[in-house]
Amino acid sequence: MALFKGTILKSIILNTHRALTAGIRYASVEVPTDDSPVEMENPFTKERRQCILCKLNITPDYKNYRLLSQFQSPYTGRIYGRHITGLCKAKQTAVEKEITKAQNCAYMPYTYKDKAFLKDPKLFDPENPVRTHRF
Amino acid sequence: MPTYELAMMLRAMPKVELKNSLLRISNAIFERGGIIRDIENLGFRPLPYKTSAHGLVHREANYFVFKIDTATTVVSDLKEEYSRDVDVVRQRVFKVTEELEHKCTLEEELLPPAYRKEVQKMIEVGKTQVNRFTHKFSYNSGLDYYPFQK
Repeated sequence: MALFKGTILKSIILNTHRALTAGIRYASVEVPTDDSPVEMENPFTKERRQCILCKLNITPDYKNYRLLSQFQSPYTGRIYGRHITGLCKAKQTAVEKEITKAQNCAYMPYTYKDKAFLKDPKLFDPENPVRTHRF
Repeated sequence: MPTYELAMMLRAMPKVELKNSLLRISNAIFERGGIIRDIENLGFRPLPYKTSAHGLVHREANYFVFKIDTATTVVSDLKEEYSRDVDVVRQRVFKVTEELEHKCTLEEELLPPAYRKEVQKMIEVGKTQVNRFTHKFSYNSGLDYYPFQK
């Protein structure tokens, strides 16, 4: 019995000790110090990438055929795909739509690029697509 | 009345005749209760491809854009009228749409396939389909014979 009592006493003492330490910890958290961690956004997040038309806030228009011809192959007149132009989905579909409109209105040729626009600055490199070619 | 853009290509002709044909085109709009907001002259330049209209082959044209407001029912009537006009080489009508607020989604599109929303949806749909490579025909289908060739 004495042994049993001893164990109970021991456990009580131990528990009280734990409770005390816990109480002390809580108190230390509540008091703000200069060294306490600050809530902030992750400073290492990369900047959000944007496609060139979204960045410059341009909406493609069929009357602006000089801009549209930059998305056209100089050899075949075909429209470059999204994996080459690096545009977002919405802008790519808009460009394709406006190019077909411009070609329909005889602003832009179907099968070649206007030779006056051949030396325009390149917006992308068809040889190095964002995603790999099928061919 | 919705806003339309009339892209007109007129044949090569002297200025006086050009003025008359422009007047004719705009009068056709006014007669049907339309409004012209703006007329843009995109200049006289060679066509990117030769076009034949009214029995003549055209290689050059005067480019004009009319910004007009008309009733929707009038548009087909106008097109029919201009198709009969000898001076009009080519004509197209486009409805002007308002620009929608759009946020660039390029960042999401450049993620690896497993993280793309559309790919995840595709995988979910694929899970609901029968896999025809591992699917086994169950004999308790109610038929008393095997329906396929053995």
